[in-house]
Amino acid sequence: MSALAQVDAKPSMAWKRLRSALYFVFPLLCLVFIWEFTVRIFSVHPGVFPGVGAVLKAGAESIANGSLFLHIGASLARVLVGTILAVLVGVPLGILMGVSPGVSTILTPLFRFFSVLAGIAWIPIATLWFGYGFGAITFVIFNAVFFVVAYNTLLGVASIPPQLRNAAWSLGANRWDMLKEVLLPGALPNIVTGIRTGLGFAWRGLIAAEMIATNLGLGYMLFLARDFYRTELIVFGMIVIGILWLLIDRLVLAPLERRTIERWGLVR
Amino acid sequence: MKSLTINHLSKTYFDPYAAKHVTAVQDVSLDVPEGEFVAIVGPSGCGKTTILNMIAGFLPASGGDIIVDSRKVSGPGPDRGVVFQSHALFPWKTVLENVAFGPKMRGVGLKEREEIARDYLALAGLSHAAERYPNELSGGMQQRVGVVRALANEPAVLLMDEPFASVDAQTRMTLQEELTRIWQARRPTILFITHDVPEAVFLANRVVVLSKGRVLEEVEIDLPRPRSWDAMMDDERFKTLSARVLQLVRAA
Amino acid sequence: MSEAVAVNPALRLWSGYLRLVARHPVIGSVVPFLPLIALWAIVVEAGVFPRAFFPGPVDVFHSFVDLTRKGILPAYLADSIVRLAVGAAAGMVAGILLGLLVGLNERAHRALWPVLLFFQAIGDIAWLPLLIIWFGFGLETMTFVIVYTVLFPVVLNTVLGVRSIPLDLHRAAQSLGAPRWRILTEVVLPGALPNIITGLRNGLGYGWRALIAAEMIVGTSGVGFMMFDARRAGSVVEILLGMIILGLLWYAVDALILAPIERATGQRWGMVAR
Repeated sequence: MSALAQVDAKPSMAWKRLRSALYFVFPLLCLVFIWEFTVRIFSVHPGVFPGVGAVLKAGAESIANGSLFLHIGASLARVLVGTILAVLVGVPLGILMGVSPGVSTILTPLFRFFSVLAGIAWIPIATLWFGYGFGAITFVIFNAVFFVVAYNTLLGVASIPPQLRNAAWSLGANRWDMLKEVLLPGALPNIVTGIRTGLGFAWRGLIAAEMIATNLGLGYMLFLARDFYRTELIVFGMIVIGILWLLIDRLVLAPLERRTIERWGLVR
Repeated sequence: MKSLTINHLSKTYFDPYAAKHVTAVQDVSLDVPEGEFVAIVGPSGCGKTTILNMIAGFLPASGGDIIVDSRKVSGPGPDRGVVFQSHALFPWKTVLENVAFGPKMRGVGLKEREEIARDYLALAGLSHAAERYPNELSGGMQQRVGVVRALANEPAVLLMDEPFASVDAQTRMTLQEELTRIWQARRPTILFITHDVPEAVFLANRVVVLSKGRVLEEVEIDLPRPRSWDAMMDDERFKTLSARVLQLVRAA
Repeated sequence: MSEAVAVNPALRLWSGYLRLVARHPVIGSVVPFLPLIALWAIVVEAGVFPRAFFPGPVDVFHSFVDLTRKGILPAYLADSIVRLAVGAAAGMVAGILLGLLVGLNERAHRALWPVLLFFQAIGDIAWLPLLIIWFGFGLETMTFVIVYTVLFPVVLNTVLGVRSIPLDLHRAAQSLGAPRWRILTEVVLPGALPNIITGLRNGLGYGWRALIAAEMIVGTSGVGFMMFDARRAGSVVEILLGMIILGLLWYAVDALILAPIERATGQRWGMVAR
């Protein structure tokens, strides 16, 4: 048994990561094979669905002429600006609302209403108010994230046990300390969940808004390709959208959420 | 014969994190005749829950065999009723539906199985809770329902895995007294797992002390029945037996 | 403390309001809108923005009455609701079946989980250009988008629910004599139900937005189309009306369908917090 223990030493962290990445990628590779296979066997018309080669070629082209990065850059800039603004405004507002039970009684239904509307439903009016382009789309993203984040922050602050606040008072905290040391960290798991949910809506809103109201961005790239029946470019764009969101969600949002929720044992 | 026999039972498994084979149970033989109440005690990690899981059929044995009601065990079955520490009541079923679950699986009609369930609930004084959901009950009540649910399926053997470990001390004593009362009334064959020595001595006819996956010793408990905690507190024999078992467990 | 301390009348009003809300929760979700609507009306009357650009509540109400009388609004609303209902039902059935498969079978989980995550990440709306090429600007396109949107949250949550059922419940059912398919109906389905409903709630939330987007982009009828048509005509009133109707409709779906199911299942069983 001791020999066994020596031979089969604990797998290293890096190896584990690599293995789980392989487990994730392998089924997707299989899917690509099935796709190419199906397109060839049934000789699917490229106007209906492209083969793998055509998509790769379209991808290489759009990378070579730089248009892909222009579109990605425009989309990400809108998401980033809209989200940062929304968090900067939404979190303080949510905390202010959550501190007073009276205010939260009044404002909770309003925020629920607006977080239901968040995102796509604002596209028509946003384009009227701001015209087509950066302003309208950023506004759509802003309010997709803002209402969800503010509402979740409010819930988070309201869910902090009163003993914690009392404990902080009796340990000599002033208002600013209270905000910084108790309210903000206490509501953080909810805030992060709010950002994740809100961004989910915002990402979809972004694609929809870009199809309607701009001449730059991933959504526009897809919609433009449709005008010329370039399915290979559409499929390439869809894959890019999928990968980008997976990267944002898995590498930024999910670890952030896990870290705040699990580290502190603040399970839902 | 509604008895339980274990012959040279063993269990080894591979621990991928420690990267070695671990022996949890080693050559355990045990005989529980029909209508007997046997308790297995031992410190945590001694393999007692592993033994119960093998008898229940939840885990395959690495060696040896388990015979219940003259049949060799392979996989879980209604001949062995299990009472779990986590009560394991179905949250989406009322108390009545939980107790009637076993008969339902046997294909007993709605009216008849509800009658069976009500009979057993009455036995444990739970008739008033029949229509409630498990989460509306106290911990003690939940455990009672767990016992009744297993009994109502009329198993050959009742396997109990530290069922009273997570209730408060007063409730635990009441539950223990009720269990001895039910056992005397119905005489089911019971194998009871616990780490609580007084509990084992109070309940069982025989206590098996387990250590590091082996049977250390078996102690006959010839205390008179019916047993109650009021009487046991001052009973010299109870004290002597408990002290003896405790010594064995601590030496283990 | 027996001396009567004079209570501030504002406080008395407040406590009366709280008691009223406790007795009739509906009031609590209606009253807060009144000051908001009043504020809106005041801003409009004060003429801060041009009225065509930012119409008031009365204008919106007039257009509501007008469009209802012409029959446009009821027809569009019915279109949207039917699309959502059909799509959601199909997406839910497919999602639960797929979720059970992936949740119960380790191999299916390994093979399909990354694929599911990836297709969820692509998102419904990104399919629109391709769908328009395939099906044109029609019902199929919208149905596909809604089924697609509802499907993923239901699948992912069903898997989560199936996998979160405690092992002891499986074991209890087995030792009480339940065969495999009975465990599916008696343990797995009810055990996963609270999560399935959460999935449905999320799916409807996304599906709703997807429907609006699809109606804006490819639609010839529906509330989303109405709003976008109004945008083309520069009629802010109808856009606002559309938004309000969307919000109210979600409230209705939530209050009449989702919340009662949640109260009768997960909350009643103590499996989710109230």
